[in-house]
Amino acid sequence: MENINDYILHPRQVADKSSKETLQKAIKLALDVETDALRLNTQTFNTNRYRAVKRLDDYEELKNRARLIKEKSIKNLIPLISKVTKAIEARGGKVFYAKTKEDATAYIKKICLSREAKLVVKSKSITSEEIGLNSDLEKAGIEVAETDLAEFILQVSKEQPSHNVAPAIHRSRESISELFKRNFKTEKKLDTGEELTEFARDILRQKFLKADIGISGANFVAAKEGSILLVESEGNIRLTTQLPAVHIAIAGIEKIIPSKKDFGVFIELLAASGTGQPLTSYTNIIEPPLDLPVLNLNGRNDGKREFHLVLIDNGRMQMRDDEELKEALYCIRCSACMNSCSNFQTVGGHAFGGECYTGGIGGAWTVATTGSLEKARFAELCTGCSRCIPNCPVLIDIPRLNTTIKNRLIKADGGASLQKLFFGNFSKLGKYSSIVPTLTNFIVSLSISKLLMEKIVGLDKRRPIPRFANKTLKRQYKLYRKSNSIQISDVFKKGLVLFADVFTNYNNPQVGMATVRVFDKLGIPIKLSKIIEDGRAAQSQGLIESARQSAIKLAGYLEEIIDSGKEIIVAEPSVLALFRYDYKKLINNDYLFSKLEKHTYDPIEYLNKLLNHSELDLTGKIEIKKLNSDKIFYHAHCQLKTIGAGNTALEFFNKLGFIVEISNVECCGMAGSFGYKKGYYDISKNIGNELIKQIKKVATRDSKKVILASGTSCREQLRDELEETIYHPIEYLEKILK
Amino acid sequence: MDLIEKFISNAEEAAATVKIIRANANSLNDALIAATENELVLFAGPDDLDPELFSIFISNKNVITKPTKEQLSIISTGVTDAFCAVASTGSVCVSITKNLSSPVSMLTQKHIVVIDSRTIIPRPRDIFSENYLEGKGLKRSFSIITGPSATADMGPLVRGVHGPGKLHIIIIDSFDEMHVR
Repeated sequence: MENINDYILHPRQVADKSSKETLQKAIKLALDVETDALRLNTQTFNTNRYRAVKRLDDYEELKNRARLIKEKSIKNLIPLISKVTKAIEARGGKVFYAKTKEDATAYIKKICLSREAKLVVKSKSITSEEIGLNSDLEKAGIEVAETDLAEFILQVSKEQPSHNVAPAIHRSRESISELFKRNFKTEKKLDTGEELTEFARDILRQKFLKADIGISGANFVAAKEGSILLVESEGNIRLTTQLPAVHIAIAGIEKIIPSKKDFGVFIELLAASGTGQPLTSYTNIIEPPLDLPVLNLNGRNDGKREFHLVLIDNGRMQMRDDEELKEALYCIRCSACMNSCSNFQTVGGHAFGGECYTGGIGGAWTVATTGSLEKARFAELCTGCSRCIPNCPVLIDIPRLNTTIKNRLIKADGGASLQKLFFGNFSKLGKYSSIVPTLTNFIVSLSISKLLMEKIVGLDKRRPIPRFANKTLKRQYKLYRKSNSIQISDVFKKGLVLFADVFTNYNNPQVGMATVRVFDKLGIPIKLSKIIEDGRAAQSQGLIESARQSAIKLAGYLEEIIDSGKEIIVAEPSVLALFRYDYKKLINNDYLFSKLEKHTYDPIEYLNKLLNHSELDLTGKIEIKKLNSDKIFYHAHCQLKTIGAGNTALEFFNKLGFIVEISNVECCGMAGSFGYKKGYYDISKNIGNELIKQIKKVATRDSKKVILASGTSCREQLRDELEETIYHPIEYLEKILK
Repeated sequence: MDLIEKFISNAEEAAATVKIIRANANSLNDALIAATENELVLFAGPDDLDPELFSIFISNKNVITKPTKEQLSIISTGVTDAFCAVASTGSVCVSITKNLSSPVSMLTQKHIVVIDSRTIIPRPRDIFSENYLEGKGLKRSFSIITGPSATADMGPLVRGVHGPGKLHIIIIDSFDEMHVR
C-alpha cells in the first residue's frame, strides 16, 4: 500500500463525484492508499456490532419502534419544529431556522462576532461540514478547533470525512504519526496510539480552557422538552457544551423527535449499531441553557449561559416531499450500513461518498443537501447486495435509495449506457445466445471480441465472460422427463415447482438439473416453471420501470402456482431475494407479496425445513465415504443472508454430520454484474481475494476441501482464482446422496 | 444474577473499577480515601445522595469543595455522586446542575463516583421511564457515563482522552437480606 501522505492526489480533489472520471480516480486513490486501514477498522466495527445487537434481546422490536418514531416525526415535522422552538425559548435559549447553509453560517458567524470570539471549540458535527462552517468562521478571523480526535486529524490533513462515525477511518496509526510529525514541530514521541492521543489531548485541553464559544452537533432533539441528546466517547462534547458560556448546537431538522421518553428507544440501538458498544462512554442529555454556573476558566467574565439551536433545512424539506428519497431522513447516522458493506469496507467514503456524506446512505443525502444529482454518482458503488438492510436500526431500504439515484442519473445522462443496457437485458442476451451457444461462447472468448466488449459495453476484458450452456435447463429438463417419470411419495402429493430463472436456465442448467434429480430421488415431485423474465438484472442497473413490468407479469404467474397448492423452489439466491424482498415495492401488492414471501424457498432451505419438521429422513442415505473425507467451506450469498436463509446450508450439512466452515465476508464482491464492469473490476477482485484468502487458509489435514457457494456470480468470482470445482449446495447434495 | 452483580460485571467490562461498601459515613470515607490515594481531590457535593454519608470525607484536608478556577483546571481526581446506575451497561448517571458534579467528572483524569445500590435500574431505556426512579430520569440535564473516556481514532483503543482515563465506582449498599454476599 502506498503512503497516503505522499500520494499524487488529495482526497479533496476527488470529493465532488459529478463526473465519472472523478469517481474512477477516487476508487484508485482508495485502493492505492486507504484500503488496509479501512478494512481493518470497518470490519472491527462490524464484528462488534453483530455482538452488541445480539445482547439486545428485543433488537427487532426496538428497530420497529425506532422506525415508527422517525416516520411519525418526519410526518409531523412542522408542528415539532414550533414545539421545540417554544420549549427552548421558554427557558431563555434561541432557535434559528436556517433555510440554507448560507443562512446558517451567517447566523453563527454573527453570534461569534458579537461575542468577540477569537476561539471556537467544536465537537464532531457532520452537519457543520455540510454547511461549510469552518471556512466561513476562519474567513472572519475566528479560530476553529476541532476537538474530536478524528476531526482533529482531518483538520491537520485537510481531508473530508471518510465515514460518519469515525471520519478518519481511512487512516492507519502509522499514517497519523507521520502526518503529525510533518506538521507539528515537536520533540515528543508520536509512535503509539497513547502518545498520539496524549499529544492531541494536551493541545486541545488548552483550547478548551481558552475557548469563547462551543459548537456541537446533536444526535436527537426532543421537541416537547427542547432536550438534546449527544453521544460520544472522548469527552469533548461535554467540554464543548459546558465550559464556554455560549453553546451553539447545529442540528438537521430531521433530528427532532417528539419527546425525551423517545430517547429510551434510541440510545441502546444507536450505540450497538454504531460502534458496537452497549453504550458509548458518554450519552449526554441536556436542556440548555444549563443551570451549571458559568465557569469562565477562559478568563472572561461572562455572566450567564447562552444557548442557540440552529436548525438546518438546506434541502431537507424538499427531500421530505420526495416520495423515494424521503426515507433517508429517518437515518440516525450510526454507519452500520457502511460497516456492513463490502464495497465500503474496501474503498471507504472518499470513493463511496461525496464532499460530506458517505456510504450507501450518503447518496440520498448528497442529492438533498447539494441539490446536485450528479454529485451522488458514487451511488453506483451500491451493488444492491442488501447486507445493510437487516443492519439498519431504522429499517431504511438503502439499496432502493441508490437504485432510485441510478435511475435518475440514467435520465439525467440522457439514457442508459450500453453497459447498463447489456446487463439489464441479460435474459434477452441469454435467449438469443442459446440458439447457438457454442458459437456465442466461441466469439466472446476471442481476444478481439473481449477488447470490443470492453470498449463498447464496458465489460472488463480481464474478467471471463459467463458461458452459455450448450443445452438450456428447459431443454435438459424435457429430455430428462421423457426418460424419468416422477416417483411420488404420498407425503408430497402437491409437489413443487422449480423456478427457471435466467441464470439457471441459460448459464447453470446443471444446478437446476441437480435440484430436479435430488427432489426426484427423495420422492418429492418437482416440475419446471415457464421461462419468464424476473426483473433482477434491470433493477440492478437502475432500470426500475422495466424491472417493475417484469415483476408484475411474473408475480401473476407465480401466484397461479401457489394458488394450486404448490411451493416454489428458486436455486438462484438473487432471484429468491427478489421474490421475498424486492417484489414488495416492485409489485406494490401486499397480499400477493406475502404469498410469495411464504411460498418461495432455496432448495436446501426447503429440505432443511422438512428435516426440522421430521417430514424427511436422510438416515442411511448419505455416502459414508464422503462424510468421512469431506470438509465443507460454504459462502452464503449476500442476499440469501438478508432474507434469513444464509445459514440454512450450514445447518443442513451440520445435521448430516459434516464439518462446515463459513465465509466471513458480507459479499463476495462480484455482486451480479458489478465485478464484470470496467471501472469496478479492481474493487470486485480486491474483495474476492479476501474470501479466497480465507478459503486457502481452511485447514484440511486428512480431509478433502469442498467449496460451496449458492450464487452464480459468487461461483464465478471464486472460479476466477481457484482450481477446485465450486458447487451450488444442491449439486453437492446430489453427489453425497446414495 | 441480581441487578447489583450484573451492574458490577458490566461496569468492569466497560473498564471501570468497582467497590461495594456499607451505607455509612465511615465506610464511605475509608473507600474514598483508599481511592483518592491522599492526593488533592475535588468534591462536588452530592446532588442526590444523603450529604450525611459524606460528612466524614469532607473533613479531610485534601478535599476541596469550593475550587478556584485554577484548581478546577488542574486537579486530577474528582468525586461526585450519581442519581442512578444501569445494570445492563454498567453506566452511572451524573447530573448537570448548579452544583459542580459535571465539571468535576469531566475535567479530572480520575473520576470516583458514588451510587446507591437501590438506584440501579435494569436497562438504559429505563432511565426515561416514569416507572423507575420516580421519574428522576426525566430530570433536565445529565450524562450517562459508561467507563472511562476512550478513542480508537488514533488506531488502537486508547483510554483517557478529553475526559477521565479512570472511572472508579463505589456502590453503597444496605446489605439487607436480599443482598447477602
